[in-house]
Order: sequence, then structure tokens, then C-alpha cells
Amino acid sequence: MITLHDYVLSANCYKVRLLLSLLELEYESVAVDFHPGREHKGTAFREVNPMGHIPVLTDGEHVQRDAHAILVYLAACYDRGGTWYPVDDPARLGDTAQWMAFADATASTLSAARLAINLGYDLDLDAARLGGHEVLRVLDEHLWFQERAGHDWLVDGATPTLGDLAVFPDVVLAEEGGVDVLDYPAVRRWLDRVKQWPRFTLMPGVFPFTTS
Amino acid sequence: MNTSWFPVADDHDIIPRHVVRASLHGHELVVWRADDGNVNVWENRCLHRGVRLSIGSNDGAELVCRYHAWRYANRSGGCTYIPAHPADAPARTVQCATHPVALRYGLVWTRLDGGDHDDPPVLDALESDPFVLRARPVAASAAAVLAALESFTFAPVGAPPDREPTVECESVPGGVTVTATVDDVVERVVVFVQPVGLGRSVVRPVRSGRPADPMVAWRHHARVLGRFVDEVERLPPTDADADGVVEVAVAPPVARPSSDRRTVRIERKWTTADQIAAFELVDPSGEVLPVIQPGDHIDVHLPGGLVRQYSLTNAPGESDRYRIGVKRTVDSAGGSAYLHEVAAVGDTLEISVPRNHFALRRNVPDTLLIAGGIGVTPILSMAQALARVGLGFELHYFASSPAEFAFEEILEALGPSVNRHVGLDADATSAELERLLAQPGPTRQVAACGPPPMLDRLRRLAADAGWADDAVQFEYFDSGEVDRSSVFTVELARSARTIEVATGVSVLDAIRADGIELASSCERGACGTCAVTVLDGEVEHNDVYLSPAERAADDTLLTCVSRATSGRLVLDL
Repeated sequence: MITLHDYVLSANCYKVRLLLSLLELEYESVAVDFHPGREHKGTAFREVNPMGHIPVLTDGEHVQRDAHAILVYLAACYDRGGTWYPVDDPARLGDTAQWMAFADATASTLSAARLAINLGYDLDLDAARLGGHEVLRVLDEHLWFQERAGHDWLVDGATPTLGDLAVFPDVVLAEEGGVDVLDYPAVRRWLDRVKQWPRFTLMPGVFPFTTS
Repeated sequence: MNTSWFPVADDHDIIPRHVVRASLHGHELVVWRADDGNVNVWENRCLHRGVRLSIGSNDGAELVCRYHAWRYANRSGGCTYIPAHPADAPARTVQCATHPVALRYGLVWTRLDGGDHDDPPVLDALESDPFVLRARPVAASAAAVLAALESFTFAPVGAPPDREPTVECESVPGGVTVTATVDDVVERVVVFVQPVGLGRSVVRPVRSGRPADPMVAWRHHARVLGRFVDEVERLPPTDADADGVVEVAVAPPVARPSSDRRTVRIERKWTTADQIAAFELVDPSGEVLPVIQPGDHIDVHLPGGLVRQYSLTNAPGESDRYRIGVKRTVDSAGGSAYLHEVAAVGDTLEISVPRNHFALRRNVPDTLLIAGGIGVTPILSMAQALARVGLGFELHYFASSPAEFAFEEILEALGPSVNRHVGLDADATSAELERLLAQPGPTRQVAACGPPPMLDRLRRLAADAGWADDAVQFEYFDSGEVDRSSVFTVELARSARTIEVATGVSVLDAIRADGIELASSCERGACGTCAVTVLDGEVEHNDVYLSPAERAADDTLLTCVSRATSGRLVLDL
């Protein structure tokens, strides 16, 4: 039985929910009162995760914290095709890890701006937005060249990886933090492609790709 | 406001079913390509609640707002459907502000409201084989970027390293042409600058000629441009940065109400079935035609003052032409004969803007479409609209012989939903209609068009089978002769006038003769345009527009054909 300590508006929880859906896994969601209750910083929750972060996933006896660690764990256990975390191909695996790490940069910029706007976090909003544009420029240039080389995803190859999955949520929600994605057309096309994955799921603020 | 042409997107960016957001001089734009290849550049704002249309969806023919699903047609930007008002055709004035579009040198160009109709700049350097390099956003004004471009320099791709290139810069409209030379390696790049908004621009380089290795050229110029952008962004802002930029939300120009009449040219004429000529009509100067909604018709003004109504058979988004079918009628006063025998490709015709008295609800999962003969024309536009949004329908098309089925190419595209009924007599037609109408339901509706006897039977059978009045939409394409022998008095309550209606004169003509303006369209009791409210008196309903319930209420009169059975009628005019 898989259980996810979850908060509906969290981009990091969303990426886990997304992979659970993509892998067609049943799970139980335990809602954490992240805002305004700050339950994740409370004594009880720190017994689940001493870092006081969500999401946390339990699968039977195994407790996994950290969103990206959860993605790796789920892919290793349940992705029978082995495409999401390509351990058999060192270059693709390295690139996958690199783009998962890139999501740390989106978290400290795009996601930070969103937390400041949506949940009133006290942080330097201008710096977060400026940093957001820097990461989006890098992302847009990479995706533009990927398209020209015939690749749809962040990592070369026919199938998406955890790199796409890790970067997608903060980027798709960037405008909630006031970071305008007007200037990044290749990013917008990639967002549309991600939204067309089979069993793609939504969260508040994410619109489906529709053609009707 | 600067109304010059500027590129706002790379043609390559406008992929099928994608919606692109762009900006020019602080005006937000939505850019999308329809399945017919046409690229639209509109103001990025739904006319309903102001939501950005760029978060909506592109169905290949229409752009659909994410918020309340208002649908806007390819080319004209006219609203074709408002889901919250399923039974009403949207007003023709609900139209997105559209901007002119040109595709040139691999870029999508537009201009803000200007007036004259010039074209984007023509540059010899790009006339053969322009090759679009990667555009870069810049956090600096277009003026600052243009100033910096005067000293822009780069090494031509493929030149030996460590050699200083010779660089020539020449100003062109909206950018510069830079020619870099090392020995016999020459590379020419035109850099266009798109003014995005306050302190923001996009540089869009296009290379003269396709390089030997595109990827190498893209990489090379991405590095060159990256260095240039870094330098420009480190420059202190200048006064020029605010020059010519409109950053505030500006009320867009109101969609001009189209004048009622316009001239069209016959682009194509062909025989689509026995005794049925089909016409495709386009604007003579290539302008966009007013938006089409399913069930629309146009008035065609013919020599001798004849006016005839023809339904449009167009599919959603097919907005560059109107397609009509004209049946030759034996007792024709000359309208259909003129169109069949005289009108030729290249001729012009006077038409009205489209009107709709036959609105199609698009919130019903199951629609029964019934067409008799030439009555198929509005039904075809409805079937294509339903197919486009994935709603279920069956089309039943009645004709006397196989040769009378018109618009085969549309029928074929509609596939197995089309059912043909050939050569049925009146009784067999009734029996078939009775079978089709046997199961009314809350998720079903009927839309029908055909000759009056067939529609009369259909309406009676539908009522007998228990269909609600508002679940059965219909349009007559011909109304029988009206007996105009009666004489009576009409009192216009608000105008305090009394008018005598003489033998052979319609109420409409009598009222107009008295100097009172009243709108009309078909003047055959079919469209409802000339309806007025009756305050007193008994009406002889000669129209085919009002439902039995509306007739029974006796409070509405179609002035073109209906008369009085009482000696006196009081109208709310």
C-alpha cells in the first residue's frame, strides 16, 4: 500500500502524483495542512520527516522523503519499461540526473516567487523572478535545440524521463509567481507536449492541453 | 503608436493546435495557426471576461476561450458560439480585434492598427532561401538594441579561427543587415528587432541562404547573439528605452460593424447535383469575410431588384469563402435562372452579411439532422460544426433520385453519419420521418430544412411523438403563395398612426409607405426579422416561422406575409 503525504498546491507533491498516475499506481493521499497550518513543521509530522518537508511517500515498510528521491524510488520499483530513469544508458542517466538537479534551480526561483505571491512567504520576490527568467532562458535554449535535433524531451531519446517530470511543475506554474513565459516559446511547446502524456493529471493552476 | 510591420514569431513556432502568446509595443497578441494553414494574430483577450485567449485551445478551426468556451473563428475572429446561450446565434459584433498577418522570411509579421495596407519590408538579402536563426529575448528596449546593433560584429560561420572579420552594417526597416567577411567566407545576417514592451525586445536574426550544416550555424549564432545580448543588458538604461512604447492596457479598436451589404466575386461555380449549381464567393480584394455561424444564410441581390436567400454550407473555420448551393426552380422569377445561366466565375454579386434564423444548439449530445432536397445546405454547415466538436448526430438526406444529392465531397467527409433516402413518395417519407422521430429525449434535438410539405409533416409528427417545441429547429426554404386579398386597418400604438392595408399590399409595405422603418430579410415569412408585437386584433398567420404555441398566443405578427382576420390590428410600433 502506497501512501503520500500530500498538499494539493505543492509543485513537488504534484510531480509525485503525476508519476503515480503515469505508472498507474493506486495510492492513498494524506493531506498535510501546509498552509496556513504549517503542519509539516509540527512535532507530529517531523516524526515522519525530520526535515519537515513534503512530500513523503510510504510504500509498505519503506519511507521515502524528498520529491526527487521518491521519483527515483517509484521508477525503480514500478516502471517496467525502465524509460523514466534510464539506468542502462549512462549518458541518458547522467542527463536525467542533471535535469532533476535543474529543478532545484526552478524551485529556488520560480517556485519561490509563487510561494511569495500565493502563500505570502517573506522573500526577495524581485530576485526570485529575475532568477526565474535566467533558468527559463537556459531551458528555452536547450529545448529549442532539442527540437531542431528532433528530440521532444529534455534528454535525448524517444521517451521522456524523470528530468521532464521534475522540471515541469515549477515551469507550468511560473506565471502564478508573476514570471511571464511570453519570451520562451520552446518552453511553451514542451509544456503542451508534456500535457499530452497518457494519464497526465492536473493540479490547480494547470490547464489541460485540449483541441476542442 | 508605431504601426510599422514587425515580426512577432518564428513561423516554425506556430505548430499545429498550439497557441502562442506574443507582444508588440506592449500589446499582447495571441498567435495561432488553423488547420488550413492560415495564421491568426489577434488581441490576446476574450471579449467576454478579458481572459487571455492564449491559455485557450486551438481546435484547428476556432480558438476556444479557457474560461467560458466562447468560440472565435479562424480569420475573422468572429464569435461563433456562446455555450451559456446555446439557442442563440452570437451577435456579429462579438469579434476579436484582429491584426494583419504576413509570413515572410520564415517569420510571422504583424502591425498594430494602421489603416493603409502596405507589406513587411522586402530585403534582397533574404529573397532566396532565408534561414531563420534562433531568436533571443532581450531585457532592453528595441531602441537600445538597435543602437547597439550598429556596432554588432561576428565571425562568419566556417571562417578560420583567430581572424578578425570585416563587418558592414546597414540599417533596414526594423533592424540591420550585417555582412561579415573573412577571406572568401562571407555571411550575411539580417537582425530584426521586435519591440515587445517597456524595456523588452526580441532579436530575430535571419541568415541569407541556407548554411551547409544548419546545426553548426544555429549553435554558432546562438553563441554570437548570446554575447551580444549579455552586453546590451549590461548597458545603463537610456531615455530611448521608453520611446514609442505603449505599456498600459489600451482599449482595442471596436470591431467595426460590417455594413449590411458587400460585394463578392464568384471564385468557383460548378454543378454539384442535378439542377443544383454550387458557388464559392470570395471578397474581391482578398479581405476576410464576416464570420459564419452554422445555419447562416445570405441574401443575394440580383438584377431587377430580386433578393434571394441562400444558406451557407461552410464548415467551422472555413472563413475565406462562402459556399452556397442554388437549385433551379421552374417557376423562378429569374433568380435561380440568372445564377444558373448568366452568373460566371469572376463576376461580382451583391450580398448581405450572413444572418441566422436557424441557430444550432451545441449543448445537446445527439442531434437528428433532416434535409429535404436543397434544404441540405444549412444542414451541412450544422453537421460539420457538430462533427468538429465531437457531438453525435445523424444526417438524413431525402432526395428524389441519386443525382440530386448535392455536395458529395462534404457528405463523404462526414462519413457514416450520413443516411440517404432516395425516391420516397409523400407517404413513404412520412413513414420514415415517423420512424426517425419515434424517440424524443432530453439529450436529443432535431434540426430540419426542406420543402414546406415535408417540414409541415415533420413538425406534426414531432409534436405527436412528444418532442418539445424548442427541441425542434427548422427552416423553410420556400413559403407558399399568400392570399393578399383582404383589406384591414392597422393601428400603430406608439406612433399614433392608422394605416389602411389594401388588397395586394403587405403589412410591411403599408407601414413602410407611411414612412416608418422596419427591418426585414426574406420577406417570405421564413426568417422572423420583420416580426412585431400585436397588442390587439386577430392575426391570420401566413408565415412558417412561428411555432404553433406562438401562433396560438396571437401576440406576434410577421409583417411581410401575415394579415388580419379581424378588421383592425393594433401593433406595438
